[in-house]
Amino acid sequence: MTVLQYKPIAPYVRNRDTAFAVMMDVVIALLPLYFMAFYFFGLRALLLGLASTAAAVVSDFVCILLEGKRPYLRDISSVVTGMILPLLMSAATPYYVVVSASVFAIVFVKHVFGGVGQSAFNPAAAGFAFAAACWPTQVFSYPVPFAELEPFGSVSATLSNGPAWNLFQGGVPTNDIWDLLLGRFLGPMGLTNILVLAACLFYLLFRGAISWQAPAAFFGIMVLSMLLFPRIPESGPMSLVYEATTGMWVFGGIFMLNEPGTLPKRSSSRLAYGALAAVFTILFQQFGRVEQTFAFALLLTNVFSFTLDRYSERLLRRLRRVYLATRTKLSEKKTAQRA
Amino acid sequence: MAGNFTRGIILEQRKEPALRRKLRTFLNSNYAGMLFESDLPYDGAALSGEQIIEIARLARIVDERDGLFLHEKLTKAHQMKVKVAVGDAIDDEPYVSSQLNPLLFLEKEAGEGLRLAAKAVGNPKIYFAIYKNLSDVDLKIKIPKNIDGVEIRRIHGRYPAEFRTMDDFDSDGPAVLIGICSLIHLYRAVYEHRIQSTCFVTVAGTCVANPTNLEVSIGMTPTQLFERCGLAEEPGYVVIGGSMTGEVCEDPDSYPIGTMSRAVLALRDEEKKRRYQCIGCGRCAEVCPENLTPFYINRYIELGKYEALAFYDIHRCIGCGTCSYICPSKIDIAENIKLAKMEIKRRRHVKEDD
Repeated sequence: MTVLQYKPIAPYVRNRDTAFAVMMDVVIALLPLYFMAFYFFGLRALLLGLASTAAAVVSDFVCILLEGKRPYLRDISSVVTGMILPLLMSAATPYYVVVSASVFAIVFVKHVFGGVGQSAFNPAAAGFAFAAACWPTQVFSYPVPFAELEPFGSVSATLSNGPAWNLFQGGVPTNDIWDLLLGRFLGPMGLTNILVLAACLFYLLFRGAISWQAPAAFFGIMVLSMLLFPRIPESGPMSLVYEATTGMWVFGGIFMLNEPGTLPKRSSSRLAYGALAAVFTILFQQFGRVEQTFAFALLLTNVFSFTLDRYSERLLRRLRRVYLATRTKLSEKKTAQRA
Repeated sequence: MAGNFTRGIILEQRKEPALRRKLRTFLNSNYAGMLFESDLPYDGAALSGEQIIEIARLARIVDERDGLFLHEKLTKAHQMKVKVAVGDAIDDEPYVSSQLNPLLFLEKEAGEGLRLAAKAVGNPKIYFAIYKNLSDVDLKIKIPKNIDGVEIRRIHGRYPAEFRTMDDFDSDGPAVLIGICSLIHLYRAVYEHRIQSTCFVTVAGTCVANPTNLEVSIGMTPTQLFERCGLAEEPGYVVIGGSMTGEVCEDPDSYPIGTMSRAVLALRDEEKKRRYQCIGCGRCAEVCPENLTPFYINRYIELGKYEALAFYDIHRCIGCGTCSYICPSKIDIAENIKLAKMEIKRRRHVKEDD
């Protein structure tokens, strides 16, 4: 018998999935979006991603050291946060905006609450909210696709508002519908490719990296409200196409809503959470002051995560007690009948 | 078909090749003399119910399911007026087939044993229960529809199936579950007046050369069993019991195998202990068969807030280990819950003493 370093603990067979694999799935799903961004905006898109990821990883490392813990290479949650952030912004965003957003997300949102799996707010959404509040012009003005952007320094290409701004103003975008579906319009780096996003959603669902409850409730309510109550003078289906291709909520519903740390744990509360996020997004769209509202709505929804779980558990306790009581009553009745 | 929509996990069963191999005996020299003296006839048909219970008492048969004496169990079942008697060969844990294999290879003894037990509790309906999801790719053996004239009922659903067995038979009235091995011993006690001195164990695991089901004398050690079956390599650690809920055996040279052991597994120490933090994915809550939320239970245990655990119904945990199995961060949730339950019990006793 070899002498063991530790005592093995039951069960002795374990699932092969690890936390590393779960987060690696999200990273793999983000890669095609980076490829599309590279295709539309050139090297600068990739460099923005690299800068943001590096800033996130370094600040995560420093925070863990400051907390007096040992850093752990297999924890790549900061990589996910760092990769998501630039995709939400324009390809012409200056580097300092992206880097400070990701440092803010890691230091003030993730580590203040205790690190991996403990943060009360979605780090990526908070980072985006921070950047959008501090530098709205840089974040919300987009270059034309296939414009030649300088990899470093400030961008000389002309920047302007996209169709999301038109929608926000209550107007109808003038873009061709095929351009919208294929992502050839003014918009954030990663949010314009709706077909790639749909593929990402199916990949993540199929791999089990995300559960179906929250996205199902979220997308169900969002699509219904777009079809039934369009906020622009257009038919329902057209309004849905405009909103889905230009809005952040498709990307957010896939990558940000399902962030495991802030998602409720019970399946019933996940449904309620997705529905709540959808309601907040719609309300923010109607009465908000920013063109991309999902991140703010999500931050508000995060607050209710624990409460929803608590209510779900309370309901479950009550149902369980009712079920057990009726079962014992039934079996008592049966034995009484036999006697 | 109740149970197809149950919560739990689908496990690779890994029962082969032990399941299809013939049951072998591995007995020490005491076996031949283990007989009890009685005037009762060596014939099951001539015995009354009370006499069968008396024989079970004389033979000191222990039920391998729950560790109760068979005569106590039968007496209690007789008083309860059970309508169904079930021979339990469920074996839903990976590697373990120490109930299923004797049932398939000692058909006559198991069937007659169940009929004797049924006679003792007042002739209810009789069934055998076998787990349904034995769907390994290499499962060579075919489970028949009935064995020795007794109908077999398959228990459907995902991994923790054993605790649901009662629900499948409840419709006919109160049921009693009796382990297959104790039924075989009951048969031998009636027809040979033999005291229970053996038990059935599966010897398997990644390090065992010839995984087999053995009938061994009680008190043998894991090392002896490994000598009988051969080791392909030096085992990393030895487990007594199932691969989901068993205990690590610290001293395989002197640990005595008993009725409740069920299996002896020699496992390779292949999984490095990796340190992950909980990422909060909530998969433990998705798979828990009792519909608890192990995530919050574990969180409160880590924080030391034992008073908050009552809200999450920690006492309903059955200790099946599905949460630890599924956890991508490899946290020992089931072990933490087990320790916390003991701690809560201890604190309650301290309070009562004051």
